Amino acid sequence: MKVMERVRESTVGRSIWRAPDRATERDRAAGHWANFFLHIYPVKMRRKEMTFRYTWFLGVASVVLFGSLVVSGIYLMFFYVPSPASAYGNIQNIQTQVAFGQYMRNVHRWSAHLMVLVVAAHMARVFYRGSYKSPKEFNWVIGVILLVLTLLLSFTGYLLPWDQLAYWAVTVGASMAGFVPLLGETIKGILIGGDTVGSATLLRFYVLHVAVLPTAVVILITIHLWRWRKDAMLDTGADDE
Amino acid sequence: MSDREPVVVDGKRVLGVVPGTPPGGERKVLDEQEPVMVWPHLLVRHGVAALVVLVVVLLLALFFNAPLREIANPMDTPNPEKAPWYFAALQELLAHFHPMVAGVLVPTGIIIGLVALPYIDRNPRLSPRFRKVAVATFTVFMVVWIVLTLIGFMFRGPNWGWVWPWQDWYGEL
Repeated sequence: MKVMERVRESTVGRSIWRAPDRATERDRAAGHWANFFLHIYPVKMRRKEMTFRYTWFLGVASVVLFGSLVVSGIYLMFFYVPSPASAYGNIQNIQTQVAFGQYMRNVHRWSAHLMVLVVAAHMARVFYRGSYKSPKEFNWVIGVILLVLTLLLSFTGYLLPWDQLAYWAVTVGASMAGFVPLLGETIKGILIGGDTVGSATLLRFYVLHVAVLPTAVVILITIHLWRWRKDAMLDTGADDE
Repeated sequence: MSDREPVVVDGKRVLGVVPGTPPGGERKVLDEQEPVMVWPHLLVRHGVAALVVLVVVLLLALFFNAPLREIANPMDTPNPEKAPWYFAALQELLAHFHPMVAGVLVPTGIIIGLVALPYIDRNPRLSPRFRKVAVATFTVFMVVWIVLTLIGFMFRGPNWGWVWPWQDWYGEL
């Protein structure tokens, strides 16, 4: 720890951390604000709201799972081409030839399933704690959008292995879109890019899965956390737990 | 206390007792509402939570392989055709209601209902004791949804007929 202190107080250290003194609480708060990674967090929170009993840490678990999905997903992208001619063979190749390929695919799959569970559980926890109440209504709305995006991410990823499981699950899912009144066939057409699930569908789902939806999730998580931080020390008024 | 009668503790004379606060301050009482620094109090907990989640994922990935069936074949429809498990409740509804209801009205209604929830429920109380209607409604919805999901995921086989999961397993992850 002594070494770390010396580094922080050197010329280079001061240029990186800018607020290297940590003697008083005020110093530490300044250091917190000056740090990109820490500034996602509020500086202070009520002791009670930090306990396991209060949050079950489901929010942080969702973010960790999302991180695990990004890392394993990028690894898989190196070995995958989204076309019906190659997709299935690529997955077989990942499982048998690529170093840690099978393991990375497993991590990606189980993280994805867990993320759906954890995000849903997070929503339930927030509901029972009443944390959607005024003035935090809009953060709940962002949370609902994030839940929908999580489902869409999982669903678009489901198609990519191009096996029987993927193909027919997406066929069932896409057929539901066809029942929307008036616009049904149009929506279904935009979604799968043709009459049946085919090469256009695979490419669309791939682009949504690796670019559009993750970007949307990152932006919304950022807003979600920013609002959470701003509300961290709100006077919740009637605290009758 | 005076020096007339010496007080003896453990064989030693106590010279005097000074009234007032000890130099270190009063003993700290943990107040749940008291604000404390996020670093280290929350970040350490988040670190532990993150490690637990990662360990769970890495162990799952070690022991269970992700499924890969035969290559997609548009000519060969499997029986049953199963949606991913998180849509199993919708698929189960699809077996009982018109697709317009199960495939469009119900999911749209759920999303709109969830978005509207904080604007409908204006009761400021936090404890479930004072929110009986909201808690009961949400709980009923959640239980119904979980039951439908489990039925669609585990209890449905060929032609969407009922199967017991311990006899035939058609659940797909």
